[in-house]
Amino acid sequence: MAFAAERDLARRGVDTANMRGASYADTRFVRRQVEDAAVKNGNVDTIDRSDTFGFGVRVLADGAWGFAASQVIAPAEVDRVAALAVEIAKASATAKLADVRLAPVAAARGTYRTPIEIDPFSVSFEDRVGLLVAADEAMRRTKGLRTTRAAYEIWREEKLFVSSEGADLEQTLYESGCGISAEAVGDGELQIRSYPAAGGRTQNAAGWEFVRDWDLVGHAPQIAEEAVALLTAKPCPQDVRTTVIIGSAQLMLQVHESCGHPIELDRALGTEAAFAGMSFLTTDRLGSFRYGSDKVNIRIDSTTPGGLGTFGWDDEGVPASEGWAVKDGMFVGYLMSRETAAALGKTSNGTVRADGWARLPLIRMTNVSLMPGEFGTLDELIADTDDGILMDTNRSWSIDDKRLNFQFGTQIGWEIKNGKRGAMLRNPTYTGATPEFWGSCDAVCDESEWNMWGTPNCGKGQPGQIAHTGHGAPPARFRNIRVGVMK
Amino acid sequence: MSGRLFSEAELKRICQEAVRAAGGEAEAAVDAKTLALTRFANNVIHQNVASREAELRVRVADGKRVGMVTTNDLSNAGIARAAAAARDVAQRTPENDTFAGLPPALPIANAPSAFADRTSSATPLDRATRVEILLRHAREGKLTAAGYLSTNTYESAVANSHGVWAYTPSTMAAIETVVMGEGGSAWAERNATDLDRIDVPSAADEAIGKCVAAKAPRDLAPGAYEVVLETYAVNDIGQFLASVLTGEAVEEGRSFVGGKIGQKVTGPLTIVDDPFDAELVPKPFDAEGQPSQKVTLIADGIARAVVYDHQTAARTRNTSTGHALPPNPFQSASPQHLRIEPGTKTRDQLIREVDRGILVTRFHYTRWVHQLRTIVTGMTRDGTFLIEKGEIAHPVKNFRFTQSYHEALGGTLGIGRDLQLFAAGEWTTGQRRVPALRLASFSFTGATSF
Repeated sequence: MAFAAERDLARRGVDTANMRGASYADTRFVRRQVEDAAVKNGNVDTIDRSDTFGFGVRVLADGAWGFAASQVIAPAEVDRVAALAVEIAKASATAKLADVRLAPVAAARGTYRTPIEIDPFSVSFEDRVGLLVAADEAMRRTKGLRTTRAAYEIWREEKLFVSSEGADLEQTLYESGCGISAEAVGDGELQIRSYPAAGGRTQNAAGWEFVRDWDLVGHAPQIAEEAVALLTAKPCPQDVRTTVIIGSAQLMLQVHESCGHPIELDRALGTEAAFAGMSFLTTDRLGSFRYGSDKVNIRIDSTTPGGLGTFGWDDEGVPASEGWAVKDGMFVGYLMSRETAAALGKTSNGTVRADGWARLPLIRMTNVSLMPGEFGTLDELIADTDDGILMDTNRSWSIDDKRLNFQFGTQIGWEIKNGKRGAMLRNPTYTGATPEFWGSCDAVCDESEWNMWGTPNCGKGQPGQIAHTGHGAPPARFRNIRVGVMK
Repeated sequence: MSGRLFSEAELKRICQEAVRAAGGEAEAAVDAKTLALTRFANNVIHQNVASREAELRVRVADGKRVGMVTTNDLSNAGIARAAAAARDVAQRTPENDTFAGLPPALPIANAPSAFADRTSSATPLDRATRVEILLRHAREGKLTAAGYLSTNTYESAVANSHGVWAYTPSTMAAIETVVMGEGGSAWAERNATDLDRIDVPSAADEAIGKCVAAKAPRDLAPGAYEVVLETYAVNDIGQFLASVLTGEAVEEGRSFVGGKIGQKVTGPLTIVDDPFDAELVPKPFDAEGQPSQKVTLIADGIARAVVYDHQTAARTRNTSTGHALPPNPFQSASPQHLRIEPGTKTRDQLIREVDRGILVTRFHYTRWVHQLRTIVTGMTRDGTFLIEKGEIAHPVKNFRFTQSYHEALGGTLGIGRDLQLFAAGEWTTGQRRVPALRLASFSFTGATSF
């Protein structure tokens, strides 16, 4: 029992809040241990081991929300924080129009632990760092690189959730992530290639086996050579419309930005309006709006093995679940909290998570994935395409505040001519509007090309929070896409 | 109750004890904060939070081997554990050939205070009362407001085994709001160290007035337009350019000023980093406890200098300017008190001088497309208008832009006289003070339906 000593304090927080006038209260204790390592240009740049432990008390009082948190683990501090949470809720109530209502949930009790093969913290430190050094060295054998980087992150989070409704949940979540990148500079150009994904690393709810299986060292030479080759590659055609095949490592981010965020019900209801924005997927469109072609099936699933959004219960004590966001191209499901689900007369599908003990739980993507189609492999999809561009691995991403107009850049592209992969293209970009883009999807590769990616850097909320979200995707083909937007 | 979690003496004891416990060459830093934020949407307060957070970072060098441990357990036992673990990591880590040792103790100049008791002691009711002023205005106008009001307190301390000791407290109060009406929206933002300097009614008037003007935006074809950028949009440009006005960005070939010091890189703008600007949340030292210097980055369009941390400076045979960030794999230094020097024109004068162009309130979701060329893409948001013959003609639907920021500044036609303070956000480092700008050309490459 990781929280034998804290359980009484958690209950004390709930009881104190109730005595102060809360109609609902929960306490979360969270202990997070992370090790980040980075090698740059052959040198160990950063080794940072961090641990953080604290608790937060969330309450409803006078029909409004309050939340307070502290890292001082003591009875008197629990009392202070619970009382402050109630004081804050009562201040919130001075500007309320109606009482907050919560959708019902059965009070759960239990434990959950991420299934892993190799505890990443049990692998020797020397072996962990040695892998990065070897991968970096393997990239640097290629001449012409300015900067090389290799990184891993290993993560363990232990959580206790106790609520005034009787929930009592303990979870231990593991994550492992890794990545390498090579940068080349010359003649006014800066080019980057990274592996397995962009943004420094990809990550899964997994043990060290995840890092091992990506074989960073084995893929380093190709990444390095591509970065150098991109300096003199043909520029992506400018401002034309063509067929685009998007690789799995890029398409997962397209899913994240153009489906994952707009299906957040808090956005649709306006509660993120000032910061992240709202959503074109308004509640009147649920069940009736054509989001994409009938090839497009996007799933919300917090049970998928390896996904960063896989857990036992969310941070409101709602169990993990699975369902559809988009089925046969139709928009059919939101990511919901207890409060937002109640607004639609539904129950929560358990998608609320907080970034540690000090932040308020919010609706966050769990695993939002484009499901495999029936087309076959990427090579078969290329062979079926007369003329177009293959793009993969993200370099740039931007989307408007209702998640309609987007523009993405990728690290690399290739011409497709007569069913064959042709010349390498540098600085590929594509742009469009979400429903039109997904409506133009005419082929989705099958399960053999599907991969569960992780985005450990999804920002939302004020104060800001970082969530770790999972996105499975295979490559897919899109027709009549505008490409090459770069001044 | 004050938001300060420690006294200077307490933090000095914690840092120096961590350095002592680590033994040898070591550095200890504490970042402590009390965050209080009242968030509103749909004209009600819907999220309302407060937290106390403090973190000790211990960095240990064993020759060229470096290890770092971060903990929020600041008890004596926690300090000892972190120090021992950092020493252990350092001893087992491969050597970093470029590690230049921890920096020396240097005199740190006095800077104006950036701490206000009124902010640090603000209560939940203080925040709610101010938010209600704005919400009442919005309801009366049959408009919908969202945003937040925050009152934050920070303490920063750093010590090392070479005798470095530096400490400063600071505060930041802020209100941000988007006000939405039929078909249009508008934005207002205020930041100040002192809560009593946050003028909520003026923010409400600005957002509500502009929201009414933004009603029923029309389609306008994308293309290159002359623009007047409000301070909110200019802040975004300052933020992006600041991130590559560093020695590390030049070293890695990512900076537009790389190899161009002494050459013209923008129009007639002067950009400085001024840690002693009393209106810019002054702080006289960096994350390594080195004295921060005022640095002129661009003078009248000519690239003059970049900022350095200790390690990058040593690696590239330069001198630290005192701009280190806490050690991390992504960015080692940053201009943290960026100021674009003011011009002489009011915002309205800048608009009056435009024959045909676009007034942009702010940008949204901006990202690098090509860092070396400073090409950024993003959207306009919360108030975009067509200007014709010096007058605002009508609101227009939002554009996507894809534009080199420093090339856009190359066409600077006018600089506003009034600077606005922007605080460090959750996703950005440092503060900025910037004016509105009139630029000859800005490339709008797409449009959206609202």
